[in-house]
Amino acid sequence: MIWQQLMSAPDALRKRWAFALSEILVVSASGIRGTTNWPSFALARYWDLLCEHAFGNYRTLLEAITLTPAMGNFLNTRGNQKEDSASGRVPDENYAREVMQLFTIGLLQLNIDGTPRRGVDGQPLESYTQDDVTNLARVFTGYDCDFSGLTELRSPTPPYEGFMPLPHVQRPMVVNASKHSTLQKRFLGVTIAAGTPAKESLRIALDTLFNHPNVGPFLARQLIQRLVTGSPSGAYVARVAAVFNHNATGVRGELGSVLRAILLDEEARGPAGLASLTFGKLREPALRIAQWGRTFKVRSKAGSWKYTVSGWGADYDLLQQPLNAPSVFNFFRPGYVPPSTALAATGATAPEFQLVNESSVAAYINHLEQILLQGPTVLGPELPYFPERTATNQVKDMFPDYSAELALAQDSPALVARLNLLLCANQLSRETQSLIVRALDSDRPNAYWEPQYLPFHVVRAIMLVMCSPDYLVQK
Amino acid sequence: MHPLHSTRLDRRAFLRRGGQLALAGTALPLALNLAALGEAAALTATDYKALVCVFLIGGNDYANTVVTYDEASHAAYSRARSGSNGGASIVLARDALQATVLRPAQALPEGRQYALHPSMGALAGLFNSGQAAVQLNVGPLVAPTTRAQFEARSVPLPPKLFSHNDQQSVWQSNDAEGASVGWGGRMGDLALSANGQSLFTCISVAGNAVFLAGENALQYQCSVAGPIAVRPAANQFFNQPAQRALFAELLQQSRRHVLEEEYTRVMRRSMASDAQVRAALAAVAAPFPDNNPMAAQLRMVARLIGGRAALGMKRQVFFVSVGGFDLHDNMAARQPGQLRQVSEALAAFHVATQELGVAEQVCAFTASDFGRTLSSNGDGTDHGWGGHQLLVGGAVRGGAFYGKPPPVSVGDTAAPQDQWHVGRGRLLPSTSVDQFAATLARWFGVSVTEQRDILPGLGAFGGADYPLNLGFMRV
Repeated sequence: MIWQQLMSAPDALRKRWAFALSEILVVSASGIRGTTNWPSFALARYWDLLCEHAFGNYRTLLEAITLTPAMGNFLNTRGNQKEDSASGRVPDENYAREVMQLFTIGLLQLNIDGTPRRGVDGQPLESYTQDDVTNLARVFTGYDCDFSGLTELRSPTPPYEGFMPLPHVQRPMVVNASKHSTLQKRFLGVTIAAGTPAKESLRIALDTLFNHPNVGPFLARQLIQRLVTGSPSGAYVARVAAVFNHNATGVRGELGSVLRAILLDEEARGPAGLASLTFGKLREPALRIAQWGRTFKVRSKAGSWKYTVSGWGADYDLLQQPLNAPSVFNFFRPGYVPPSTALAATGATAPEFQLVNESSVAAYINHLEQILLQGPTVLGPELPYFPERTATNQVKDMFPDYSAELALAQDSPALVARLNLLLCANQLSRETQSLIVRALDSDRPNAYWEPQYLPFHVVRAIMLVMCSPDYLVQK
Repeated sequence: MHPLHSTRLDRRAFLRRGGQLALAGTALPLALNLAALGEAAALTATDYKALVCVFLIGGNDYANTVVTYDEASHAAYSRARSGSNGGASIVLARDALQATVLRPAQALPEGRQYALHPSMGALAGLFNSGQAAVQLNVGPLVAPTTRAQFEARSVPLPPKLFSHNDQQSVWQSNDAEGASVGWGGRMGDLALSANGQSLFTCISVAGNAVFLAGENALQYQCSVAGPIAVRPAANQFFNQPAQRALFAELLQQSRRHVLEEEYTRVMRRSMASDAQVRAALAAVAAPFPDNNPMAAQLRMVARLIGGRAALGMKRQVFFVSVGGFDLHDNMAARQPGQLRQVSEALAAFHVATQELGVAEQVCAFTASDFGRTLSSNGDGTDHGWGGHQLLVGGAVRGGAFYGKPPPVSVGDTAAPQDQWHVGRGRLLPSTSVDQFAATLARWFGVSVTEQRDILPGLGAFGGADYPLNLGFMRV
């Protein structure tokens, strides 16, 4: 599903941006498996919401994501009940904590440039306390899926388990007033009076979070990291945060305006970034694969796109199956500083390096070797999604189209120039281009090569480009 | 707060690290040996010792891991935990704990008794045979802290309490996310010169963890399948040796751009070491359970320990981790499998160290983001602070509890039983991670004066209530 979107959807920018949002408003496939009979559909609805609101308003997106059953199952709003003083039960705090820490305001009070505000003692000021979490948790009680009009189905085979039909994981969750906490809810300086109905409580709560001054810089820095550079300047963060706070038409939280501000900023587009020795970001493994797929028009013959970039064993593991992060903390953290590097000496963040180690750098290359010639081996399209993988139930189904590159197979400089443009935005250094040309020429096809061997030459060229550090670090 | 992070020391450390990296980067395995650098030989070891940090990601539920068993405490625990959404209770019945009751050589005061979770029979057996111990209520502290001081914020507190990613980092490094040096790595720093190949001093089988990053020591990362080779650098993907050589050159040549160079450094280490480490891996006959990710990691640790002579190692620090402990929901269903995984993996590992003849020289200990609440949110528990940890190995003074059994209470009163939690039974640690780490470090061979370098916060502790040696290791 997701590879069809990332590799073939015509609205590439929307999908790229939605993918970035999916790494902040995280729901993980493995985190919801076992919580619903329809995990893939719940996740698909969540992804559709990200795409639908990608250029819309963050407040709208935040509410849609809060109420989507995928998130409800992942961070436990679904089934969360009000306090019960007799038994000592209290509301589940999970969503209340993470919606603040990860989706809106973060742990520290921020200046507009994303740096922490400090108290008189010089220590960073935290942005909420445990009491805020406890109170906000009451807002997210009483929710469950919307089963209205649906009747239970029975599986046709033993043990004839009952299950509810699909639409309940696609509709927004609804509240059962009798399970919603009617206590006063006081957090972040706002008080929701006792007895306030659930819907109104949610509106006030999400408005409070959305309007908190942290949201602009908190999101701006992370979204810049997802698209442009791992350690953006404070000025860049401040410019984007200002657009979040107040776009050209005076509206707060317009994501389309934020995206434009990020991509058209001088720091993103100016020549200084290209000259700098620290600017840029390591391309995410999943995005390298998505880019390969888009560039070479990979299509699933069966239309099922059953590609998993993890799960083939450690020798090939990319550690990043989209929409399947290990936890709500994503595949890597925005604050990650790679230890024992020059970056650690300056405290520079480089989130994607959290996936870089002696094993994973080799596994990436091995993974490419498996997919470049004929696409990845996938589970048979006719098979359900989670049978045991065996040698016999795997097929080739997603094929790249190298026709334009094959035409250049005997002209190494032209072939490298084309790949440099398509894959690297012409950022391969002169030295790297010349090294790759030399490598290709050391085994260049000639008139005596059988035509069926030419694709090998093309994929060697792609391997060389996609393993070059010039490519791996997007400037 | 973190005196070792002064600019002067950072710069010095960076220069040394730079030297080491440059050396390691010259690709020959011999260059991985640091002894030639003339580092202070802090640890002059002739024997072998290894520490294994077993990190339970998500915040392990202390109350159902090391469960109060004496009648009065168990009744209090049952009352505090009884809140339910109507589904399965998260209270462990007392008679279900009979088989896993812990029988210390010396009984705890006031008739206190504990059992392990019913799925942890293997570890209970190790405890009762003197091969494992329990450290009660340990967690990050900046200074000894009472509940009144916590509530008044009148003593410095660890940053960003109750936040997953930050408390993982604080446990491992004394600082929140973004930290670049951990106490495992600092111990590694002292051991570098004792080891024949300093690169293998700190090894993670679970990806990047700040725990293993030292001022000088790097974390070498190995997959559960061992080190991973770059296959196209050796196989027929490139048909001609000349082309293969140019590919290897492209992957490893030095780079001016900082991100490119850091990526390339990892690649160089990978290519310089994988064959050597693979050749050194020992066969281990001891059975490890299948479908147990932690066992797969610990099996690789055992195989690496078995290769210690071939690699010339005297002191090593390892890191393994598994997720799935953040049980806000569905705890009754999920917790047994999680804890069984840990118990069976640690027991199998202990048998493997016996087979390798190093059971007395290896200590495995658990750690986690934080403990959880004692009270229920209906079908799970929420983020806490202190927790109980397990220590396994022949060098552990096993069959004993260390630290103080916390009262079992969730009240918010001034009564004595409510002074060791900060609400809902979130334990206020009565032992700091610094003391815990210092005790392990002493056994590892770190001198009393060097302990302060490894654990800059240690000076805040000492005396009868916060001893610097908790006594759980045989020295």
